[in-house]
Amino acid sequence: MRIKVLLFFLFTMSLTAQNNAISPGEKLVYTASYNMSGILTDLAEVTMETSAVKTSKATLLRLKCTAATYSQWDDFFKIRDLYESYVSPKSLTPYLYKRDINEGSYYKYMKYTFSHKTKAAKSQLKKKNNYEVHKTVTISTGTKDIVSTLYNLRILDYSKMSHGAQKTFTILFDAKEIKGQITYLGREQISTAIGKKECYKLAIGSNQTQVLEGKNNNFLWLTADENKIPVYGKFKIPVGNGELKIKSAMGLKH
Amino acid sequence: MKKTFTIFAMITSILAIILSVLPVSNLAVFPAIAALIFGLVAFYLSKKTGAVKKIIQFSFLLTIIALGITTYKAIFNTVELGNTDTLIKKEAESKEQAIEELEELDLEEFEAEDIDIEGK
Repeated sequence: MRIKVLLFFLFTMSLTAQNNAISPGEKLVYTASYNMSGILTDLAEVTMETSAVKTSKATLLRLKCTAATYSQWDDFFKIRDLYESYVSPKSLTPYLYKRDINEGSYYKYMKYTFSHKTKAAKSQLKKKNNYEVHKTVTISTGTKDIVSTLYNLRILDYSKMSHGAQKTFTILFDAKEIKGQITYLGREQISTAIGKKECYKLAIGSNQTQVLEGKNNNFLWLTADENKIPVYGKFKIPVGNGELKIKSAMGLKH
Repeated sequence: MKKTFTIFAMITSILAIILSVLPVSNLAVFPAIAALIFGLVAFYLSKKTGAVKKIIQFSFLLTIIALGITTYKAIFNTVELGNTDTLIKKEAESKEQAIEELEELDLEEFEAEDIDIEGK
């Protein structure tokens, strides 16, 4: 019954939220760490960068995410990943997405060209040994790639949300549409490398029942200001926890 | 019983040494603590029954070395990013390629108010 009542109050937000938090020239640097019983091991550096990209017809926003392992790990498992999304600066609607993964001896390249009018996305998959597959995938209204979805979290209005409010995203991943879900868990103050910050706490990827029963272990903290930058992430992995902690933030809009 | 604790102490101290020389040196603390506990129990039991075997002392030595390496690495080793030249080059190439691909797209089909179209 309690769950039904909560579901009744489920918050539904508009899909066409306007970007007032992200501008070109922003650079966020994170440290990805592995935490086992409080002992931290730094693994990689993750960078999230924005820039303006001009074509003859329009100016788009390039959202770029890179992940690179620290030198001590390079001999064991070298990671050099590049994720890019070219989006509308106002609504963060993606038009082109690229994912270039180099992890150890594994290589994968994925590209989506979105056509929101025809509700289709052309995908291109490349792997080692000249393996290449082209597909056209039917997409729903508001389908986004993983990078633009991550940035979209920053243009939601959390100040009007109540505890337990949910938002579902449709994400195109590996040429398939998957559902992602966030649950707003209220405000929390946390200490970060860029100071003590009042944050919005979000649970990622699980349904509300799991979150409220304490079964969820994936959380993201966004600053409770106009920039809404992700400052801390905690993700459950089979043994221990994965953590994403902000190292520096430059070129913020506000 | 004494034999079992001695074997456990040896196994955990070897594990601590292996972990301490790897990048995950911080995790060597766990087997090192276990090795100390097993070693102390084995030492106590050996003392009760007679002479203490050299292998127990050896496991203590390995554990101390492992803890020494771990502490040294935790204090003096700073994490630094590996060579990212290839990634930087790839980023630039990808951007150039993306601009060409975006030029090919029919941007007219996108919502006019959604995108900052120059000259409109």
